[in-house]
Parts: sequence; structure tokens; C-alpha cells
Amino acid sequence: MTLETVAFAGVAVVLLVSSLGVVLTPNLFHSVLWLAAALVATGGVFLLLAAPFLFGVQLLLYAGGVVTIVVFAIMLTERLVGRTIRQASRYLVNGAVLSAAVFVGIVGFLVQAPAVTGRPEVTGDLTLAVGRALVGPFALVLELLAVLLVVALLGALYFARSES
Amino acid sequence: MSLRVGSAMVALLVLALPFAAFLLLALVRPLRRSAVAAAVTSITAMVAAVASAFWLSWRAVPRVLLQSPSTTWTWIPADGGPMATVGVMVDEKSMAMCMLVTFVSLMVQLYSWAYLHDEPRTSLGRYYAYHSLFAFSMLGLVLAPTFIQMFVFWELVGLCSYLLIGYWYDRPSAARAAVKAFWITKLGDLGFVAGIVMLWVAAGTFDFWDLFRLANAGALPRDGMPLIMFLIYLGAVGKSAQFPLHVWLPDAMEGPTPVSALIHAATMVTAGVFLVTRAFPLFLLVPDVLTLIAWVGAFTALLAASMACVENDIKRVLAYSTVSQLGYMMAAAGAQSPSAGFNHLLAHGVFKALLFLGAGVVIHIFHTNDVFRMGGLRTQPLVWVPFVLATLALAGVPPLPGFFTKEAILGGVLEAHLTLPFAMLALTAFLTAFYMFRVVFLTFFRPGLGDSHAPHHVPALMSLVCWTLTVFTIASGVAMARQVLSAGHHDDAPAWLPAFSLALAGGGILLAWLMYQRQALDPARLSAALAPLDWAARRRYGIDAVFVGLYRFALLAFARLVGWLDRYVVDGILNVLSAWTLRAGDRARRLQSGQPQDYVYGVAFGVLLLFVLAQWRLR
Amino acid sequence: MSLGAYLTLAAAVFAIGLFGVLTRRNAVGILLGIELMLNAVNINLVAFARFGGDLGGILFTLFTIAITVAEVAVGLAIVIVIFRVRRTVEADHLDLLRG
Repeated sequence: MTLETVAFAGVAVVLLVSSLGVVLTPNLFHSVLWLAAALVATGGVFLLLAAPFLFGVQLLLYAGGVVTIVVFAIMLTERLVGRTIRQASRYLVNGAVLSAAVFVGIVGFLVQAPAVTGRPEVTGDLTLAVGRALVGPFALVLELLAVLLVVALLGALYFARSES
Repeated sequence: MSLRVGSAMVALLVLALPFAAFLLLALVRPLRRSAVAAAVTSITAMVAAVASAFWLSWRAVPRVLLQSPSTTWTWIPADGGPMATVGVMVDEKSMAMCMLVTFVSLMVQLYSWAYLHDEPRTSLGRYYAYHSLFAFSMLGLVLAPTFIQMFVFWELVGLCSYLLIGYWYDRPSAARAAVKAFWITKLGDLGFVAGIVMLWVAAGTFDFWDLFRLANAGALPRDGMPLIMFLIYLGAVGKSAQFPLHVWLPDAMEGPTPVSALIHAATMVTAGVFLVTRAFPLFLLVPDVLTLIAWVGAFTALLAASMACVENDIKRVLAYSTVSQLGYMMAAAGAQSPSAGFNHLLAHGVFKALLFLGAGVVIHIFHTNDVFRMGGLRTQPLVWVPFVLATLALAGVPPLPGFFTKEAILGGVLEAHLTLPFAMLALTAFLTAFYMFRVVFLTFFRPGLGDSHAPHHVPALMSLVCWTLTVFTIASGVAMARQVLSAGHHDDAPAWLPAFSLALAGGGILLAWLMYQRQALDPARLSAALAPLDWAARRRYGIDAVFVGLYRFALLAFARLVGWLDRYVVDGILNVLSAWTLRAGDRARRLQSGQPQDYVYGVAFGVLLLFVLAQWRLR
Repeated sequence: MSLGAYLTLAAAVFAIGLFGVLTRRNAVGILLGIELMLNAVNINLVAFARFGGDLGGILFTLFTIAITVAEVAVGLAIVIVIFRVRRTVEADHLDLLRG
């Protein structure tokens, strides 16, 4: 029972529970809150996978930005009054069956797949390497991402403008 | 050689003149709409044709044919010689027929001008156009050097018959009669064309001269010939109204009387006899078929004569008479005396046309076809002399042509040892004289309607034509008499034959005189005595009913069955298929619910399927 | 922990996210489900980067996060516009593309 195992178990439980909370809560706002928890737990997973930079990015962008946006959207569109899960969702059984089937499919595939071997595990500070890569070989991608963000910004602005 | 070529050109001219008239009338509308112009066009062409035919017969008469009398041009080219040719065959038979056709056509066209005076002007143009087309078709038929050309013109003649019988197309009976004629002759034509094709398969050629050479050399296959010649004979059965395809001819009287005179007495119906005569060298190869022809001919003659005895419509009587005489001609051919039959054809053509035209005169006077509503014309010889002379010719009284030709036929049949056909033909001769003079007495000499009126005005043109034909009849009769007397007696025919045939004719005339003029014998009692025969003859022996039945129950029922199949099976299958497609489309359309979550379901299913597939492959 | 554990965890989160996408009535709720699915993908990528010795996994995750953010922004803008026009964001009512 190493520390890593215990940490993993804890983070996994939190992640799974909050994910279930996201999809099962009738109240949409509660759903967003559960999402925030799930995103933080995912950050924790990144930390366990020795990617602290991503942990930071996740918290900033996802847990911070995306959750905020969604909350705004909810405010602008829908009442927050809670309703039962039956009213908030449709075809629960069908969805559950299909999701379970997909899960089984993926896991079954994983079980059979040949193991990933022969590569050294990554150690050390990756942040510097990531930075170097971003302005090096992946500079173009970075620029494209910037363009994408600008376009998204413009698009959102356009959609959100007032009628006049 | 040059004479032969020259005669071919003249023959083509004879053909081309009526065709040109037809084209002009068909294409130039103003010409057709003016009756006078149309008649003039047609009649002028006919006069020129008569002159040309006359010149042809006068100048180009090869007695013995050493080489092919045909002049042909390639029509359907093929390897190893043309498959079919067109051209003209100028020999004795075709020239004689040309003369008959052109002369009688001219007479009839002149007569029509007066007879159809009351017709609308534009209709007359159509009438003359049809006449020209008919003349062209008939001439093409008799001048044809090959079976296939003859067949083409054969069909054209049938078309013209349809057009002319149904000239008054707004009368339902006329339209029906035209269709009936077309159908019945078409039945025969089926056999004809089948026979021609089979002959071509066997011999490799359509040309008459080549076929005759092959036949004489014995180069034609023996096995199929009876069937082939029988099928070809079927064409003649239809066209020449032999039993059982005779039913169209009496109904064809719906057409105008001049048309009946031309087509159903002198020319079209003789095409069948002409065919048998023309192809006689081929028929010689199959004596069984010839015997059949003789028997059918004799039987037809007797059958038609019996039906004529109970007819009241003057034109119908003449129609049955024509059927009967055609039977005579066929019997002669079947008895291997084709020239006797052919001579009867030529003679009969003239005096039968005269009979019809004379009947047209009395129809014009009394405005009815019923002989029992006529009478009292004793004091107008101008009206009855032509008709009576023609009747004497038909009955077979010398020195008129009918006597010599009938005697020749009877002699030929006797020579061929066909006893029962001879008996039938003899009885027919007796009946012919009887029923024709029955008509004569009832129409002209019985005290009747004609007496009370002032002399009837018969249009001069009609009289002129009738008298012209009368003169021709007498002249041909005298010529025949002279020929027989100078040539001496036939050694082959029995000496008692002329007296016998004269006795038959005389007996018939006497009986008719006793019954209808003297009133010594009561016709009603005779009918009662022969009741079953009388009953059957009045109903045309039910043969018509058989055809109607066939048409109605067989053909129409079959058509109804096919229609049902088409509507419920063929259409049904298609409709079911399309209905299923539509229904499937409707169901499939529900997949497009417009809700993205349903589409996600689809994607998820697809992914699962991919997983399953991948598992399979990995295994 | 082995690679397989992380991948299984990611698969579970993915399945839960899929369940959310399939069943939620609200359009925003569907988007939340999509967020979960993308998260699971990210976990996968980072796990492969760690155990497969490839830096590219981390870079890819970075890009994915950026793109997701853009997608959320635009998506929610669309939802707001729909709400303005049709006064509803219930997915069942948004069936104009119905065949």
C-alpha cells in the first residue's frame, strides 16, 4: 500500500462521485458545482501523473473559467428551481445501458490490447520541456490556438450582442 | 430484249399513273376538296392506264417464255445476291389482269361520279383518292415478280378495301363491316406470310421465275412443301372468300355499290385466284393441296349459292354469287385446269361488275336494296337489258362468256375425276341460274312500284357505263364462241357436257320463272318443304356466329385476362414495391428526430459496433 | 499505479459523461456531460504521456484544454441565442432539423 496507491484511490473516488453528481443531480446549478469538484479531482489526477503544469492549467482554465461561463449561461437561460431526476432527464435506462456497454467495450479492448512497454517513464521537470516545445516545434500550433481563441471570442461576442 | 425492256417501262407506267393520281389527291388538299378536280385527276390517270395496258397487251405478248419475263431492281441487298427485289413481271396473265383492272376501274370511277352525286364534295375527293390507290395496289399485285412484292401489294389492297367499305365511316354497320373484312382477310394473310417465309427458307428466293425453275428441276425439298403451299393457299382463302373465311364478303356490301362492283366482283377478290394461278407450278408439286383446293372451292360454291336463294337484298345476292363463282375458279385451279379458272375470272369480272352496276341503277331508282320492294320495269328496256344480259352470262347461256368458261371448268373438274365436286358444281350452276333469275323477275318484271311512275330518270353516265360493259360482255362471248368453233371440239371433255350445262341453266331459269313470274309454284311451300335447309341458309349456317363467338369469347376473354394480369399482377407488384418503399421511407424518416441526443445514441451504437468488430479481428 | 488503472478510470468518467449527454433534458446539462467526456480524454492523454515516455501527450492535453474552452464559449453563446429566440433550452423542443 504505497502512498501513490492511496492517493490514487482517493482521487479516483472523488472524481467518480462528483461525475455521478454532475449527471444525476436534477438541479442544474448543483450539477455545475459537482462539475467543479470533478475538474479539481482531475487536476489531482494530473498531479499524480507528474504533470504539475497541467494541474495548474486545469484549475485556472477549467475549474475557473469554464465553470464561470457555464454558471453565467445558466443564469441567463433557465430557472434554477430543482426538479426530480425523472423530469430533468429522459430515457434513463436506455442511457445507462448504453453507457455501461461503452464502458465494457473500452475496458474489454484495453484488457486485450498488448501492453505498452519499452519506453522509459518520464521524470524530471516537464514544465521547462513543455515551454521549450511550445515555442519550438509546436510554435505554429500555439499560434493557431491563439487564432482559434480570437475567433471564438468574436463568435461569442457576435452571438451575444443585443438585437438592435 | 429491247421489247422486254420497253414493256417493263410501259408496265411501270401503268403502275405509276394511278399512283401519281393518288399522290396528287393525297397531298394537294385543294385538289381533293374539289370533287370535280379529284374525279378528273383520277379518271384521267385511269384512261391513260387503260391505254397503256392496252398497248402492252397488243405489242408485248410473249407466248413462250424462254427467259424471265421480270424486270427487277434490288430492294434488300445481301451477301450473295439481293434478298428481295422489286420490279414488274410482264406475261400473259399479268397483262390480262392489267387490262381487266384498269378497264373495270375506269368504268366504275365514271359510274361513281353519277351514282355518288349527292355526296358532299369533299368526301368525293377522298373517294377518288382511295380508288386511285386501289388501282395502283391491284396493278402492283398482278405485276409482281416476287412473292414478297405481291404480299406488300396484297396488304395494300386489303387496306384499300377497308377504306372503301368503310367509306361512309359514320355508319356503324359500315365501320363494322370494314373491320370484319380486314380481320378475316388478315387471318388468311397470316398463313400467307408464314408460307412465303418458309418457302424462302427452303428455296432461298422470293422470285417467281427462279422458284418455278427450281420446282421444275425438282430442287425444292419435298417434305415441307405441302405445308408451305397450304399456308400460301390460306391467303387466297381469305382474300377470295373461300369457306370458312367467306363471311366478310356479304357484309362488305355496306360500301357504295360501285365499290362492290370493282372490289368485290372483279378485282380484289380475284387476287386469291390469281395467286393460285400465278404460283401454279409450285402447286403442281403438291397435288393433295390442289385436291383440297378443288373440294373447298366446290363446297364454297354450293354453300354460297344456297344462301343466295333466300336473300332479299339484291347486293347480298350478288355478293353470294361472287363467292360462289370464286369457288368455281378455285375448283378449276384445284382440278389442275388453272387456265379455265383464269378465263372465268376475266369473263366473270366484266359481267359481275355489270351486274353490280345494274343493281346500282335499280337501287338508285327505288332507293332500297330489297327486291321485294321493286318491280314493274318491264317497259324500260334501257334499264333491264344490261342486267338481264349479264344474268344470262352468269347463268351460263351461250353465246355469252359465262357458258364457255363454266363449261371449261366443269370439263376440267370431270377430267380430274373429282366426281363429288363436279356434282356440287353442277348443282351450283342450277342454283345460280335459279336465284339470279329470281332476282331478275322480282326486280324488273313483277308488277310493282315501277309501273305507276313515269319513266325513271337514270343518269346518262350510269346508263352509258352499263351499256359499254354490256357490249364488252357480248363481244367477249362472241369471240369465245368463235374460238371454240374454230378450234374444234375439245377431245378431252365429254360431248354431253355443253348440253348438260345448258340444261342446268335452262332448268334454273325455268324454275325461277315458274315460281316468281308465273306464280305457279308457291315459294313459301317450297321453303316449308325444305324447312331445315331454309332455316339454316337464312342464318348463314351459323358460320358468322362462330366467328363472332370466337371474337367475343376467345379474343375478348383473353384480352380481359391479360388486362386483369396487367392491372393486378404487373401493376400490383409495382404498386406493392413502391408502397413498401414509401412505408420504409416513412419509418426510416423517424430516425431523423431532429434531436441531437438521438444522434449521439447512433454514434455510440456505431462505436460499440466498432469495438465488437475490433475484438473479432484481434481474435 | 499501472497505466491500466488510469485508463480504466478515464473510461469510467467517459461513460458517465456519455450518460449525461444522452439523458439530460437541458442543453447546458448536455454540455456538462461533454465536459466530463473531454476530461476523461485528457486523463488518458496524460497517462500515456507518463507511462509511454512521450512529452506529446502533455502538449496535446494543453491544446485540448484550449480548444475545449473555445468550444464551451461558443456553445453557450449559441444556447443563449436559442433561448432568446425560442424561449426554451429544452433539448426536446429543439427539433427543427426533424426529417
